[in-house]
Parts: sequence; structure tokens; C-alpha cells
Amino acid sequence: MTETGVAPAEIPTLRAPANRVSRRAIWYWTAMATVGAVVLVGAEVGIAAACGFGSGWWTAIGITAFLLLLRVLVMPRWRYRVHRWEVTRDALYTRTGWFSVRWRIAPISRIQTIDTERGLPERIFGLANVTATTASTAGHIRVHHLDLATAEKLQAELSLITASIPGDAT
Amino acid sequence: MSEVSEASAQAVDAVEVPAPPQGIPSPDGWLRLSPRALAVRPITDLLRTAPVLIGLLFAGMHGGRLNYWGLSFGALAILTGIWRWFGTKYQVTDDRVYVKHGLLSPRVLSTPRSGVRSVDLTAHVMYRLLGVARVKIGTGRNDKREGENFNLDAIGVAEAEALRTLLLTAPRAAAEHVATAETEIVSLRMSWIRFAPLTLTGLVILGVLVGFVTQAEHDAGVNLAALGAVHSGIHDVTHMPLAESIPVGVLTLVIGLVLVSMLGYIAVFWKFRLVRTGAGSLRVTRGLLSTRATTIDETRLRGVEISEPLSLRAGKGARLIAITTGLRVGGGAERGGSVLLPPAPRVVADRVAAEILGVPSGLCSIELVPHGRAAFRRRHVRTLVPICLPSIALLITLLAFDVRLPYWLAVIAPLAIVLGVLLARDRYRGLGHRLIGDWIVLSTGSFVRRRSILNVRGIIGWQLRQTWFQRRRGLVTVTVTTAAGKQRYSAADMPMAEALAFITAATPDLVPPFLS
Repeated sequence: MTETGVAPAEIPTLRAPANRVSRRAIWYWTAMATVGAVVLVGAEVGIAAACGFGSGWWTAIGITAFLLLLRVLVMPRWRYRVHRWEVTRDALYTRTGWFSVRWRIAPISRIQTIDTERGLPERIFGLANVTATTASTAGHIRVHHLDLATAEKLQAELSLITASIPGDAT
Repeated sequence: MSEVSEASAQAVDAVEVPAPPQGIPSPDGWLRLSPRALAVRPITDLLRTAPVLIGLLFAGMHGGRLNYWGLSFGALAILTGIWRWFGTKYQVTDDRVYVKHGLLSPRVLSTPRSGVRSVDLTAHVMYRLLGVARVKIGTGRNDKREGENFNLDAIGVAEAEALRTLLLTAPRAAAEHVATAETEIVSLRMSWIRFAPLTLTGLVILGVLVGFVTQAEHDAGVNLAALGAVHSGIHDVTHMPLAESIPVGVLTLVIGLVLVSMLGYIAVFWKFRLVRTGAGSLRVTRGLLSTRATTIDETRLRGVEISEPLSLRAGKGARLIAITTGLRVGGGAERGGSVLLPPAPRVVADRVAAEILGVPSGLCSIELVPHGRAAFRRRHVRTLVPICLPSIALLITLLAFDVRLPYWLAVIAPLAIVLGVLLARDRYRGLGHRLIGDWIVLSTGSFVRRRSILNVRGIIGWQLRQTWFQRRRGLVTVTVTTAAGKQRYSAADMPMAEALAFITAATPDLVPPFLS
């Protein structure tokens, strides 16, 4: 069971993409996680009330609330350290996630459309999401939680490059 | 066909030249669906609602309740069918294909002719009687949604075949290639029918049959169990001693499954033939009652998938599926479109795959790079944890409530663990990857083992995913995204260094800037 494949002697690693997302993303993730936690604990309290609040329920609610609080505190900062992106002349490279990390690399020549979208929560926190779609429905690359100016610059840059490349990118 | 291309060659300056000249032209150059197709829809819908109508007759006679729901749905289906027929038009110009859907607010879809990747002709029994075929033009865009696809339901068979030839032949090359002969790659051998019972098809067909009969029984308001023959059959079996009725029941089920799966195999793959046409495309024709002819543009073919469900693998059989843009590997009919070989001997699958891709036949059965000790351990953890955790939880609960342990637990739990270990080992053996020339080979799975052979040209991007658990073991799941087939093909639990070397070797222009 030795690695007999194409692995060379020296061990390469993936380097981190150059740019971080907007710092405000930490607050965005905190807000989202808080809303989620409140809904979940609320639902649990509701069910417990319907069952007449046995002693076991309070322990369960306590544990859930503690875990969710931990998530609200830890996840946004952890995420901020992981989420990064980079554009080179040839490729778009992102790293996302926290507990699980995902790297995505796509050649710019294969990008078909570039969208910038801002939902209400993003507007509140002054963020914007850029999504590059490719001919593969599984191959979209999201560069999310940028500040608006960066997002617009990125979209303009990508649009310029993709427009100059012929072919249907499949 | 040659007339068409000559006509278009002469009219280079014209903005739009309607072609082919067959079909029923409407005043504005649009072609309509075949008028015979107008009859297909109501007749099939009528047949589908037949149980309801029969029930209606019975109910009317006996003064029972009418099935208004079934009846109104039937009527609605017929009306929408007619509505759709009037709403659908198409035309082919020198460089684009247009399809118009809808009457009140028509949507015109168009695609460059160079963007057509496949043309799929299907004809059910009713279609064949009326000499029409359903045409599905694969363009690689979102063809899932209603009103956004290039489907023509239905046009005359001759027109459909002319359309297929027209669309899959480059306008200039058309005239040269018309006379070129086809070469057969493979055709059905009757001995392959032995693989039919090794697939789940029999179970699926049986399920559909049971569902249909129950539904029809309900709609028609008939109690089948009360019918003479059925009733006496059930009576015989239920009144046997248990020691006899169980073997009889199992035997009947097995024989039924074998028969049904064989019949299904014959119905679907009758006269199966895979040919390479002169114009650089692959054509699959098959079917007994409803025929199907799928043509795949070879320049759109990105690879093949050799799939071996566990039972089929045990019988040394395999299926072959095309990985091509424009034909999504989805469920049902769409999946059917990309079949390159029915369940057949694995060696045949390897040979056909190699011939289609133009690679040495050994590439399809070659040993892959295993994913190593950590992956081996992780397969065991991932298989055994879902087995052991519930068992332990059950054990604790039983002990806590002071229940005497049921004796079967002592048998079931170890058995589950042994099976789990076997499964984990098989899943590990299924894992593998390799880069050979321009081809990446990925293998995965146990219940359905799939070996995907994909050309590096088809790679649109890479995704590497690492969970916290994988990070501790230095493993990563590599996914290649592509515009063809399932859109993504993965190899789980590769050692990180091996994964990076692999993706670098496959796309040497893309990855190196991001390594350190």
C-alpha cells in the first residue's frame, strides 16, 4: 500500500490564496449563526413546553444552547481564517469552509458568466457575493463576502478576461 | 440530405434559410410537429385513463361513485397535449436551431448548430404505429426544465432522421460524408441475457407493475383478490403449512424476478447496436416495442463510465455509459440516452470503451493507484461506526432498563460487524485513480463500482475537500468538474501529496502556481 503513483519525492502543499474576504463577514456569519441558534433553541423550548418540561428537557436545552453559543463564537473567526480567494491571469482559486475545508480551482478560460449578487443580509453588512459559473453545473466558484468595491473590481476584471477568450468553454 | 446542404451552400448571403424542406411549413418559415403526433397524445392518455373509464362504466351500471378526479385529469392531459402541439414549432437555419414553445406568450429558444451535441430519437409503440418519433436535441444547457428544452414531440420518422443527420453534420462536411459507411463497434449477443437477473431492473419493473395493477384496480373499482384464479391461488398458498409456503413464496418471487428482468432486458436492448457513423458520431439503436436511437457527436464525448453493480460484478459483467456534454446522466429516460452497452461481459465493456475512446484496451482494466493505509482505515471507520454506535446505544438502553438481552442480538450484531468489515474492504479495493496519457481514471464504490475514464480536455476545474477527520489523516477528496455526464467525478481519500501530484500532472498549466 505504498504510493506508487505520480507523487514526486518532495511533498508539495497547496498554498493559501492571496486575499482574505471582508472583515465584516465575521459579523455577518455571527449574525447568521445567532439567528439559526435562536430558531433552533426556540423550537426546542416549544417542543419541551408541549411535552410539559420534564427535567431531562432542561439538560437537553442547556447542552444545545451551549454548543450553539460555542459555534456562534468560534465559527465566524475560524471561517475568516479559512476563507480566501485569488485571481491570476489563468485561474480563479478559492478556499472556503471551517470544519471542512474546500479548495476550488477553475481556469478562467472555462468561466461562462460572472454574477454579483447582494441579498438583504449582505446589504446590511455591506457585503457582496461574486459567483463565476462554468459549463459544469457542479463547477461554480463562489467568491463570497467581499466588500462591494472589491466585488465590483473583481467582476470587471473577470468579465474583461473571459470576454477576450473565444469558444463556448465546455 | 445532400440537397439540403447544397441549398444552404448557395444561400450563403441570405440571413435565414429554412432547412430541411421537409415537414409542414407554416407561413413564417416555422415547421410544425407532425399532425399524426396530435393523435398520439390523446390516444396514449386515453389508454392511461382506461382503468378509470372502465370503472366509470361499472360504476354507472351499479350506481356507485364516479371517479371524477381521474376523469378530469385525463381530460386536462388531453387538452394540454393539444395545446402543446399547436404551441411547438421549430426551424433550422444555416447556423442556428430554433424551437418555439407556447401559444399566448411564445418563447423562442435558439442554439448555434455547432452547439448541438446529441440527437435522441425515441418511439414508443403508439409512435411507431403512426410513424412518428420524439426528437430530443441535446445542447448542454439546462434541458431539465419544461419549456427550456429542444424537444420535439413528435415529428415524422423520415423528417426526424433527416433532422438528425442535418444537425450532427457540419454544414460544409455534409456533402462529403453522406456516402461514408458505418462501422459496427458492438451488437447484442443473446447470451448476455444471463446478466439481466443480476441487475435491479427486475425489481424495479416488478415494483412498477405492482403499482400499476394496484392503481388500475383502485381506479376501476375491481377487487382482483376476489377473482376466481387469483383467489384460489392465494388460498392454496396461505393454507399450506408455513414450512412449505415460505419456500414456495420465495421460489415464485425469484422465478418471477428472473423472468421479468429478462423480458425487460429484451424489451429495452433488443437489436442493440453501437456503430460509428461516417460523420464522426456514435449511434446507439435499440428497443423492441419502443425503439430508441441516440446519436452522440464524438467531439463532445469526454469519456466513458464502466459501472458494475455488486451483483453484476459478481457475475463478471458491466455496463458502459457515455460521459458526454449535452446528455445529462440523470434518472429515467435521460440516463437511457447515454447507455453505450447494456449489461454485458466486463471484457466486452473494456473492449468497447477502448474502441470508442481510441485507447489501448488495457487502459480500462488497468490496475489503479491505491489510496493507501490511511484510506483503508478510514473506509473501516466510516463503515463500522454507523453499525457499532446504534448497537452499543441499544445495548446500553437494554441494560439500563434491565431487559433481558434478546438472543438474536448476539447473532445479528457480530454478523453486521463482519459484513461491515467485508464492505469496508471492498470499498477500499474500489478506490483508485491514475493518469495515463490524456486520460484520468477514477474508481469508487462497492454496491455500484464505477470506473470513470475522462479526457483531460474535459476538465473544467478541481475541487479538493478535506474534513477535519481527513485533515488528521492527511487525506483529501478530489473532485473533477466537467460539463459532461454527471458534471462531477470524485475520488475519495487520496493522500494529500498524491492528490496534488495527480491534479498537477493532469492539468500542468493550471495547478502549479498554487503549490508551495
